[in-house]
Amino acid sequence: MIEKCFFVLVILSIGFGFCTGNMSEVSNAALDGAANAVTVVISLCGAMCLWNGVMEVLKESGAVRALSRLLSPVLKHAFPETWKSGAGRDEVCAALCANILGIGNAATPLALSAMKKMSGVCKDSRASDDMVTFAALGAASLDLLPTTLIALRRGAGSASPYDIIVPIWICSACCAAVTVILCRLSALFAKGRRRRGNN
Amino acid sequence: MEIIERLASFIIPAVLLLCAVLMIKIKGGGKAFMTGAGEGLRTAVRLIPTMVMLCVGLSMLCASGAVEWLTGLISPLTDRLGIPADIIPLILTRPVSGSASTAAYADLLERCGPDSAAALCASVIMGSSDTLIYVITVYFSAAENIKGTRHAFPVAAAVMVLCVVLSCILYRIFF
Repeated sequence: MIEKCFFVLVILSIGFGFCTGNMSEVSNAALDGAANAVTVVISLCGAMCLWNGVMEVLKESGAVRALSRLLSPVLKHAFPETWKSGAGRDEVCAALCANILGIGNAATPLALSAMKKMSGVCKDSRASDDMVTFAALGAASLDLLPTTLIALRRGAGSASPYDIIVPIWICSACCAAVTVILCRLSALFAKGRRRRGNN
Repeated sequence: MEIIERLASFIIPAVLLLCAVLMIKIKGGGKAFMTGAGEGLRTAVRLIPTMVMLCVGLSMLCASGAVEWLTGLISPLTDRLGIPADIIPLILTRPVSGSASTAAYADLLERCGPDSAAALCASVIMGSSDTLIYVITVYFSAAENIKGTRHAFPVAAAVMVLCVVLSCILYRIFF
């Protein structure tokens, strides 16, 4: 999958670079990008260790179980397979909570372990419906307190930097709901098509 | 409203406090932390090859001038939809790169003023969308036995479009 992504990006950038005469920038950017990738991961290492450690303690103590029981009534409709099998359920809850609380550094490591757990119960190399829903939901921001945006707005001299919060909540909630609905519909559609294919 | 920012600064300390208390309370709490932390480090290291491919591709695309060209291409369409032309660079960089879209956002605040229509729409877009290519690719890289992302990209892209349209509608309602 990553190879397809890479292929498209390289073709597009070389095409555009050639047309706009930015080829030297493109070639510099390739090496900068490679160096940048390692910097990003290394700067993520500390957060990965910390939050995975915290998660393990919270899991061991049963705190995550309590959290997932609390969120079950809502989330079991978005992730039906995961709730049935139980694999990755706690991680999904914890990752979504980290997203909502705006601990982005914690959300990524937790989400990765959620994906790993969910992929563990897949019978073949096909991603499960819930994995797709979870990834698509991760791609829509759920952050309740957009502190970076507020800081940037205040820095630019806004009269009321907080005005954006309520519209952001509405927009985020709509986007998240639509993401889950579209994913569930696609999943049902794919299931129906597979069943017809078997008959 | 400052209380929101004050509240936000308490979230991480509160979670860590809870963790510290539980670590003392349960048996083998320290060992559990070490196990988790080691697992996290291994995940991070396994992420490097994926990240290198992704970052090389994305930074090449940003440098190639594709954003400027596409801005010119789609501005007639967005004009008709009532989307301010100033936010197009932001819309195009948002799914691809967090740092590039933050730069585009900061530039927009500077250029149009933080309380202009374009800046308010842009703020809502920034607050309710994420770097979808990065997120989906990294998430799926953790599931090594899985091939293909099925409907993840189409759904995320459709929601991104919805987010842009919705932000402009919300701007008209709220401001």
